[in-house]
Amino acid sequence: MSTAAPTVSLPTDVVRSPATRTGQLQQFWGLFARELIKTFRNPWVIVITLVQPFMWLAFFGGMMSELPTAELDTFLLHAPPGTSYLSFLLPGVLATGMMSIGMFGSMSTIQDKRFGFMKRILITPTSKATVYLAKALGAAMRGLVQIPVMIVAALAFGVQLHGDPLGWLAWIVGLVLLGLGFAAFFLAITASSTDWQTPGVISNFITMPLMFASGAMFPTAIYPSWMRAIADVNPVGYSAALSRDVMTFNQFTVTDLTYLGYLAIFAAAMVLIGTLVASRYLRVE
Amino acid sequence: MSADGLAISVHGLTKTYGRLVAVDHIDMSIPTGSIFGLLGPNGAGKTTTIKLLTGITDITDGSATVAGFDVRREPMSVKQRVGWVAAEVILDDDLSGWENLWLQAQLQRLSDWKGRADQLLKYFELSDRRKDKVGTYSTGMRKKMEIALALLHEPEVIFMDEPTIGLDANVRRMLWDLITGVNRSFGVTVLLTSHYIEEADALCDRVAIIDQGRIVVTGSPSELKSRVKEDFIELETSESVTQEKLAAIPGVSEVRSQGRAWVLRVASAEEVLPAVFHALKTDGIRRINVEKPSLESVFIDITGKRIDQGGSDVPDYRKFYANLRRAQR
Repeated sequence: MSTAAPTVSLPTDVVRSPATRTGQLQQFWGLFARELIKTFRNPWVIVITLVQPFMWLAFFGGMMSELPTAELDTFLLHAPPGTSYLSFLLPGVLATGMMSIGMFGSMSTIQDKRFGFMKRILITPTSKATVYLAKALGAAMRGLVQIPVMIVAALAFGVQLHGDPLGWLAWIVGLVLLGLGFAAFFLAITASSTDWQTPGVISNFITMPLMFASGAMFPTAIYPSWMRAIADVNPVGYSAALSRDVMTFNQFTVTDLTYLGYLAIFAAAMVLIGTLVASRYLRVE
Repeated sequence: MSADGLAISVHGLTKTYGRLVAVDHIDMSIPTGSIFGLLGPNGAGKTTTIKLLTGITDITDGSATVAGFDVRREPMSVKQRVGWVAAEVILDDDLSGWENLWLQAQLQRLSDWKGRADQLLKYFELSDRRKDKVGTYSTGMRKKMEIALALLHEPEVIFMDEPTIGLDANVRRMLWDLITGVNRSFGVTVLLTSHYIEEADALCDRVAIIDQGRIVVTGSPSELKSRVKEDFIELETSESVTQEKLAAIPGVSEVRSQGRAWVLRVASAEEVLPAVFHALKTDGIRRINVEKPSLESVFIDITGKRIDQGGSDVPDYRKFYANLRRAQR
């Protein structure tokens, strides 16, 4: 085994950005890029993220599409006659998919804690809030992977998509906000956890009720009143309604902007609360 | 660097987890540019001390100044000036060597760092593997990569937690050379923890021996060794042996009991051993070990036990932290 050559001279001219917002942005970018690199370098992460919503379309959508057209039109209520169930379901599935991505953000944080990498990060002048925000946004970005594939899949299933560019932009921004909100929520409640199982348990607990009480799968008009009350505040439903208006019904209106506003408030509130929680409770081990 | 020429200055540093006192009022003054060793058994509080000095864990009581900044009041200023090498080698295995350096540069808010990163890779002979994922590196390369990361931002102090734990003899020897090389070439102060006597002896200008959260003695290895003039004979015997019987052996100046194990203080082990065998010829001697003056015998002298006693080579972190958590509750 060779030893180091102490004769190598080292330049001592590294330059440090000041501890200002620019410096924090540099730290944020480092951590955020790490999240993206790690996501896209792991083919299984991509495959599973993609397959999950696709299976909804294939199995659930496939079954529901077999209903007689007349019954489907009654069932879908306010939709224009002849609307396929798949085109109704697609926006809902995309919104629902954003709920579980928070779980992945949480799991990657717990992995960093257990393997000690969180220590490596926090031994540098990086604040816990920066770590938290990079994880939350990294998770939200992972959720976007499913969008292009879902659209291709929907087209392959014969769904006709509409909408103008502005509507589509609003819809995608809405999905990012939804994903960010849920990622921020998950990361906040698992900030002090080091248990692999916690994120999965929480995900199972909240996904089912929030999925059904959202209007993502079925029109809220058929809900009992207590479920409709949940749907009225459930951000998943707002995202589904926004994207359905744009893609399925081709009607992007002021109402949709209020949906977008609601999602923005949801994401901002979760990020704000989460940042405060993480600054205090994000533990190294 | 601080005005008093000290890289690290610690007064009454204490950390408690509930009722468990992990670090108990320790004092240390570590001159700039030196290699300082915290030597002690597993669970003595070495790693906790590093965590306190790097601002990762909150200090319960006392004060610490690292690289001229108060750890409690200005932790971010301290973190800009320290590097850290973990006992268990912590790198992002999914990233390449260069990407790990890139991330470290972002976290330390460096610009214009690539020249130094290149030189560090050259210094540690990792240049040709820079694009490979570090998960594919050998143990020695991973350790070197970690030291390169720790040096990237020109730290004034590097903390090395059990730098050679779990490594084979060759890699350990290489790392010893690297540690002294890094200390000399970069003028960086090194605080390392170890439970290997020979490591502290070979590397450190000064050593503090730590046991149960307390520093029991500090000095240069030669100073410490000169504290103990006598040899120790460690014995494990059958139950029939008594303290009186051992004390009666000519040349034995002190007998300490540890259950069925005994520690005899003698002027010269070579001269006393025949008498020991003679006195115990009908009793079973299960194990016998002679400790000539060394850092180990200093530890035996002060605590009555060996540094590696009861501890495995690889510390059981999970058990340690489980105990901490229980104590916290």
